[in-house]
Amino acid sequence: MSTQAEIPLQRRQIFAMGGGGFTMEPTNPLLDDFVLSLTDAKQPRVLFLPTASGDTTTQINAFQSRFADRWCVHEHLSLFRMHDSKRPLDQIVLEQDIIYVGGGSMRNLLAIWRAHGLDELLVQAWRAGTVLAGLSAGAMCWFQGGVTRSSGPPEPLAGLGLLDGSLTVHSDGEPERLPVWLANVRDGALPGGWALDDGVGLLFKGLRMERVVSSRPGAGAQRVDQVAGELVRHRLEPELLGEGETSALVVEDEAIQELRRVQRMRRGLGER
Amino acid sequence: MERDSSLLDDYVLSLTDAERPRVCFLPTASGDADHYVVRFYRRFAASCDASHVSLFRRDQGTGGVEDDLASHLLAQDLIYVGGGNVVSMLGAWRAHGLDDVLRKAWRKGIVLCGPSAGSLCWFEEALSAFHGAPRGVRGLGLLPYSNCVHYDAEPARRAEYHRFVGDGMRAGFAAEDGVALHFRRTRLKRVVSSRPDGAAYLVEHAGDGVVETPLDVSYLGVDPPAPAPAPPVTAAASPARRPRRRAARRASAGQASERRAVAPEALPTPLPA
Repeated sequence: MSTQAEIPLQRRQIFAMGGGGFTMEPTNPLLDDFVLSLTDAKQPRVLFLPTASGDTTTQINAFQSRFADRWCVHEHLSLFRMHDSKRPLDQIVLEQDIIYVGGGSMRNLLAIWRAHGLDELLVQAWRAGTVLAGLSAGAMCWFQGGVTRSSGPPEPLAGLGLLDGSLTVHSDGEPERLPVWLANVRDGALPGGWALDDGVGLLFKGLRMERVVSSRPGAGAQRVDQVAGELVRHRLEPELLGEGETSALVVEDEAIQELRRVQRMRRGLGER
Repeated sequence: MERDSSLLDDYVLSLTDAERPRVCFLPTASGDADHYVVRFYRRFAASCDASHVSLFRRDQGTGGVEDDLASHLLAQDLIYVGGGNVVSMLGAWRAHGLDDVLRKAWRKGIVLCGPSAGSLCWFEEALSAFHGAPRGVRGLGLLPYSNCVHYDAEPARRAEYHRFVGDGMRAGFAAEDGVALHFRRTRLKRVVSSRPDGAAYLVEHAGDGVVETPLDVSYLGVDPPAPAPAPPVTAAASPARRPRRRAARRASAGQASERRAVAPEALPTPLPA
């Protein structure tokens, strides 16, 4: 991919996850494989940015173990630790097919990116056709705003604004976030937008939200807008990635659970 | 927090008047690395009221909200800033308003210290070499000089610092690993070292070039016995740290005293910014 040539807006892609992927779903690769499927590159170059976590080894190891046996060239970029390579940032960032941003502190993420000039490089990469993906802080950062817990209690925070609207994440996993987001959308502090459960991702082509996908049966998403001081909420039904229909999987899942229960009882282990 | 020596830590603790100093660790430049936080507590928890502030995992550090964080820091005797990436650290500090808090802490008389990024941050300008080419970085500007660390660790560091000062970076101080610059107000008071051969320099623009003046360094450890008549076997076995070649060269040439070229107190002190 040429690092300078821009592609048309409607072909630029951002995939924003409310939670999930290799850091949160070590045994479920559906969202990460979906991310890989978004690029036409035969052997995609994938860069992981663990900045929001402070470049924790846990995140970096999870990234490596997820992508090590997949057909891609993967590396991570630390803004805290020395790399062996001393390539300049623009060289690293502008040669990727996919840039995957991890979760953590959204406030720190944006501040540190700005300190290194990485915010502008990421916009350049997006314009040149690099798929931007991320979860949690790494998802909210692309929008006009999000809800962060970087300082403890949830509070609104402006993002890079590549995408219109705001995003809130972990709606099921961290229930204290959603009400703060709704209150901020209601009083106009944040523009309307999306609330995502863990395991749900939004695919944007250009500025248009094209697909809602999920790695888990039952995970949901909603679109919320403020109209004349009131909140208007629409439930979105995510397509479940992987084999089969959502309902079929749920049924199968229950059937398996039932089977296990029966087997346990037969072995005299009782209910769990 | 050198692994094999507590001399610099003991020195900085001696700068506080407190019997049991309140010491807070800021590991921001390392991304709040767990192992670094553990190392801090191992070194300081026994003799101090030790705490740390995490900007990445606020629930695990001290203080749940911004206000508490400021008042916590302002109640310390010593604030210890860990090493890592100075650009990332300054960015995160500014986002949390810690830059202002630390300026207040300094004015209040709280001792500020740290290695590497924890040194660079206090200066007006600093040389940072992390990704790609080395670059000049604006620090908090408490000290109106530039700063360069790990002066001996990388062969190119000295030449780069000279080039930057030659190109207009303000005059400043270069320190080798294990060497600490002790400032009172904005004046360099003392240069101390945990290593017998540690060196530091004043680097300034002069005429067409750059002049580097070695500073008088006080070794904080027990001085090794006089080298004169000792048999070779003893000399080889005695020091805990193997002296580096340059120092050995100096000693053998009998030039050790020449390093006392400029007493720190005699240095010109620019007015505070």
